[in-house]
Amino acid sequence: MPTHTDESAALGTLRQEVREFLMTLPATLRTELGGVDTWLSGWNIDFTRALAERGWIGMTIPREYGGHARTHLERFVVTEELLAAGAPVAAHWIADRQVAPTLLRFGTEEVRREFLPEIAAGRCYFGIGMSEPDSGSDLASVRTKAHRVDGGWTVSGTKLWTSGGHLAHAFIALVRTAPLDASDRHAGLSQLLVRLDDPGVDVRPVISAGGHHHFNEVVLDDVFVPDHRLVGEEGDGWMQVTSELSFERSGPERFLSTMQLFEQAMADPAVAENVADVDSGRQLARLAGLHEMSRAVAGSLQRGEEADVSAALVKVLGTTFEGDLAEWIDQSAGSASGVESRTKSLATRGVIQRPGFTLRGGTNEILRGVIARGLGMR
Amino acid sequence: MNTIDPDLLQVMRDVVRSRGLIDRLDQGVDGIRLEGAQWHQLQELGLATLTLPEEHGGSGASWLESAALLREAAAAAAHLPLVETDLLAAWLLREADLPVDDRPRTVAVLDESGHSPLVPWAGEVERIVVLAHADGRRVVADLDPSDVDIEPVASRSGLPRSSVRVTGTVDGTPVDDGTETQILLRGALGRAVQSVGAMERIVELCVEHTTVRVQFGRPLCKFQSVQNLVSDIAAETALARSAVDAAVTDAAITDLAGPSSAFRVAVARSCVGHASSTVIRNAHQVHGAIGTTVEHPLQLLTLPLLDWRNEFGGVRFWDRLLGSTLRATSGSVWELATGATSAEFDKVLMEASR
Repeated sequence: MPTHTDESAALGTLRQEVREFLMTLPATLRTELGGVDTWLSGWNIDFTRALAERGWIGMTIPREYGGHARTHLERFVVTEELLAAGAPVAAHWIADRQVAPTLLRFGTEEVRREFLPEIAAGRCYFGIGMSEPDSGSDLASVRTKAHRVDGGWTVSGTKLWTSGGHLAHAFIALVRTAPLDASDRHAGLSQLLVRLDDPGVDVRPVISAGGHHHFNEVVLDDVFVPDHRLVGEEGDGWMQVTSELSFERSGPERFLSTMQLFEQAMADPAVAENVADVDSGRQLARLAGLHEMSRAVAGSLQRGEEADVSAALVKVLGTTFEGDLAEWIDQSAGSASGVESRTKSLATRGVIQRPGFTLRGGTNEILRGVIARGLGMR
Repeated sequence: MNTIDPDLLQVMRDVVRSRGLIDRLDQGVDGIRLEGAQWHQLQELGLATLTLPEEHGGSGASWLESAALLREAAAAAAHLPLVETDLLAAWLLREADLPVDDRPRTVAVLDESGHSPLVPWAGEVERIVVLAHADGRRVVADLDPSDVDIEPVASRSGLPRSSVRVTGTVDGTPVDDGTETQILLRGALGRAVQSVGAMERIVELCVEHTTVRVQFGRPLCKFQSVQNLVSDIAAETALARSAVDAAVTDAAITDLAGPSSAFRVAVARSCVGHASSTVIRNAHQVHGAIGTTVEHPLQLLTLPLLDWRNEFGGVRFWDRLLGSTLRATSGSVWELATGATSAEFDKVLMEASR
């Protein structure tokens, strides 16, 4: 693990600023707080715009691209507070978390100028274009193909599990730009930025077992992508995706998805009477420990260190924890009378969403492999 | 910065690893004695009383350096009374304005009848500092072991543990009422740091063993089921380390008297305690039968963990205090977790120590 990163007084002040911002929101937005798993499903453009006005989107984007030139640790503090409050941050989440860093590192100047200021303004939303119907954990097996044509590429294939794809403006698709080489499966992959309103793009809903629509299937049928929307180098897609995943895996969303359920349950006397202090204390300690661990990774990203293994460590423990929390509270709330309907509805959402926690962003089984490789066992 | 001088770290490592794990296998049978030669080296290097201020003959270092030494010693299974001498006894003598030096010591927190059921290293050290009751006050005295009754009690690892009894009134120097709680916190954090040192070495032993040991024609580390067991050990150890680092960093600044100090110690103890379950179970699982014997060094690390997690408050003791705080707090769970309202925890701890 990276070394401990302390929270400076300035970061503590920023934390208080976010808490105050949330408490003083206009009533129409304040009622949108308090959800479970809101970074995936809480899509609220008004909230996103309000955050952008405070300068809390695109925080780490340089000023010349419309961002705020702040540190990873500052962004960490802000996102932690938003997630802990169950704020609806899904609209800008992917764009802010991983598209902006990816474009800054690998994008062409034209693409940066086109997208980064819009992302920072809270006006441009992204999905993820990695998985496919036949490529879940085995990402290197993607079959979406891009052919060279005059001035760019034509892309055909199907992407799956694109959260918010029906509402987003674009995604970065991982595609094959060279045929599969069985001796080096990671070669021949590239990343292309695709606008979801381009001709030939068809976004189809995938409804979750809880009846919600956040996932989509995105069918690409001879979609033209101009040259300047190739992200990074042709053939470097695997390396780029792997570095993107460090940002995707280590953040506070990997342990705070059910934080509001914890809050609500502890404030609900009918649940609290079924809860033993030793159990709530254990969960509190784990929460505080994960908060330290996740911040250590943010500090490490700030210093520009490799964080893939430490990010995997956080995600394995964090996603298990947030699911265990939902399970424990659901069992404590049970059928007890007097349990507030709000606790029950959050608990329902928690236990139904739970299977996704340890799947998305790389299953915990894949991540254990990443950890084992870091230990030199593979 | 939160890191210590790498040269100092190397010096620490050289001393405690002057005997390897294999050289220590007899500990598993004969028990653990204070290692006079190593202690003498530590004294010469000023490492025996690292955190004691320089004007009192110590090295004036902080909890950061102390934690590094404790981790190194625990990882080498060099079980020395460092927590007891430096973090507890020397600190307590300074609190009482009594003279102190770098001889090995321990602390016995006595009840009103003059008894303490479990004192580490009591039969091995040169002085025993007692925190006793006298005329309704807490007093401190630096005693010769011959002035107290020492009855060895069994420990799981063979680490020396004794029941200590003092008859008659202790003629001591009065100290603050909160001293006992401070001893609890200091000891608890010391044990948490030692535990992390042992767990980090266990991760190394697991990687080593599974790389070397071949079954079914392949090294064990090539089996995914084995990789999963070791990955979970590494993850729990990393979480424990993060929680302990947070408490140590706080202690380095506040000497455990800060607004969030006690809360951070409790979090560290809970994370370390629960981590130890996974670490011990999985480590023995990947080592197979050999790891359960005195012929293998694994037990030199796992058995002390089983002792340490029950000392200075057990796992459930710290869990319960944290849970009671949640019940009592007027703030949110999140505010508590991020340390904003830990005055609530201090109140719960005070009540529990009463």
